[in-house]
Amino acid sequence: MSVDTANAKNMSETQRLQNLSEDELSVELVSSGVTASLFVEILRRYQQQIYYHCRNLLLSHDDADDAAQNTFIKVWQNANQFKGDSRLRTWVYRIATNESINLIRKRKPTIDFDEAQPEMADLITEDLYLSGDDIALKLQKALCYLPFKQKLVFTLRYFEDLSYAEIAVLTSTSEGALKASYHHAVKKLEIYLSVLR
Amino acid sequence: MDLENEKIGPAYNAPESYFKESESRLLQRLGIDINSPEASAPKIEAIKPVEVLMKVDTSGIQKRARKQDPLTSKSVGVDKDVDSVGKVEIAPLTFTTNENPEWVNFSAISEETTGLGDSLNITKVTYGDLLNPVVESVQIESVQRESVQRESVQIESVESGIVSTVIEVETAIEEVVAEEVVLETEVAEPQEDFVVESIVEEESITPDSIVVHEVPEFVGLDELESYIAPINAPKAPIIEEVIAEEEPQTINLEAPPTAFAPIAGRQKESATPGWLGIAASLAAIVAAYFIWNAIQPPKAEEAMATELQQDEPTLIESPLDEPISPKDTIPDGLQLVEPLIMGEMPKYKEPNVYTIIDAKEMPPRTKRALQDLEDNGLATFDMEDEMFEELDFESL
Repeated sequence: MSVDTANAKNMSETQRLQNLSEDELSVELVSSGVTASLFVEILRRYQQQIYYHCRNLLLSHDDADDAAQNTFIKVWQNANQFKGDSRLRTWVYRIATNESINLIRKRKPTIDFDEAQPEMADLITEDLYLSGDDIALKLQKALCYLPFKQKLVFTLRYFEDLSYAEIAVLTSTSEGALKASYHHAVKKLEIYLSVLR
Repeated sequence: MDLENEKIGPAYNAPESYFKESESRLLQRLGIDINSPEASAPKIEAIKPVEVLMKVDTSGIQKRARKQDPLTSKSVGVDKDVDSVGKVEIAPLTFTTNENPEWVNFSAISEETTGLGDSLNITKVTYGDLLNPVVESVQIESVQRESVQRESVQIESVESGIVSTVIEVETAIEEVVAEEVVLETEVAEPQEDFVVESIVEEESITPDSIVVHEVPEFVGLDELESYIAPINAPKAPIIEEVIAEEEPQTINLEAPPTAFAPIAGRQKESATPGWLGIAASLAAIVAAYFIWNAIQPPKAEEAMATELQQDEPTLIESPLDEPISPKDTIPDGLQLVEPLIMGEMPKYKEPNVYTIIDAKEMPPRTKRALQDLEDNGLATFDMEDEMFEELDFESL
């Protein structure tokens, strides 16, 4: 087979995967296992979301970059363990959340996730790829005053638009508890932002 | 401010170039070639640790190991980090003297060694050589040695024209044993006769070989001195005779077991028994306690009266003129801005959130009732179920 033929086949495969919906991609992954082109498609589809998710949790660009890279390495390593019981996006988000938590624990082994980490707000002010929107930055700083559980639920719901059902699967928490956490988080953030204004 | 109605955008905005660079970096890290679509997951084996024997530069570890364990001169299990890299086995050191050949304590070599013959094999072994068991060997040959016979061996090549040459190779990393390696060399012109001179030594007068090991720089004079002292002693050096009879005898001046223990060993034993020190410490503490109590200023009578009054339970009277502050609590994490928030707190209304600890054990009817309440917006239930303890993506 010539190089041109191989490239043409590769292009058609890439295009085919691009046209698949998320559910079809999950079925493809479960039925035929992961291939390089399938992995690249998963990577391209979720890379930005995962980076921003990690960035919201970790605040620092370098940490978010590390966590995102480790996330996709684990996706590649454990792709064959994906059983299709949950949505593919939920699975990838869950790995990213675990990676972020691991990174936080590595940076600060004595961290208490039930407590807020206001000192992390310093990481936001001067870092790469900030949007420059003042109110968005204030919101990010306000997030540092939330316990990690509420922060996670808020970012997944508010920024990533995940449903409560997805977040419940992702965090192994009941939807009721998630709603309560989200409610608490929103109220606290509103107070904080109104004070800052 | 209503967060849910006024949507605030993300605070981060990474450029497209970053994601492309990140993608290529990741693919490179995983060894994935985009052009080969059929590449499958097993390629990940490339980044898994491979359990093979590998050579590691253990020179530093040997130094540390010997420093830490002078009695055994072994470093096995000392550096766990390196040991975990692969199956690294570090040969025990047979330490003798300093790296500078001029510092070799020739006088320390016993007469049993020097008296046997005038020909000595002095082998300099460095730490690098321990990894590469090829050691340069210097043979010092005495002219006055009568017992060494020089024989001219004339070898006539018959048909193949192969001439044997004796080359002495010593390996230092295992036992200090001289080996004879016979190399066969093909001669281009088999018609010529070759005369090869070789040193043929009798069994009884095999020249001795002394192994001189290199010493790390951090060895101080006192440590060296402590080594030399036992060497100068008549029976201190341990001489290892080479087993092979026809090979040059190699003597290993192994360090005495306590070569590097002088610092601990030299400490003079205290004449005072240990219990006296403990008793003195206790006495000092008791004395300090009494002195501290003695120098405290006497309490005023009023202060003592106040203390006595405080011991008795009293009713706290709330002054009527003070405004009653709202009973709202400051949410977790907002304590730093408490003064600012206090002004806003009256506006903050706590939602109807109830914490339920044993949600899993509730009967189904109760759960349905709670669900109805929540669906109708009458209440929100916070199930405490420790979500982070159960995070395990592989279970999905």
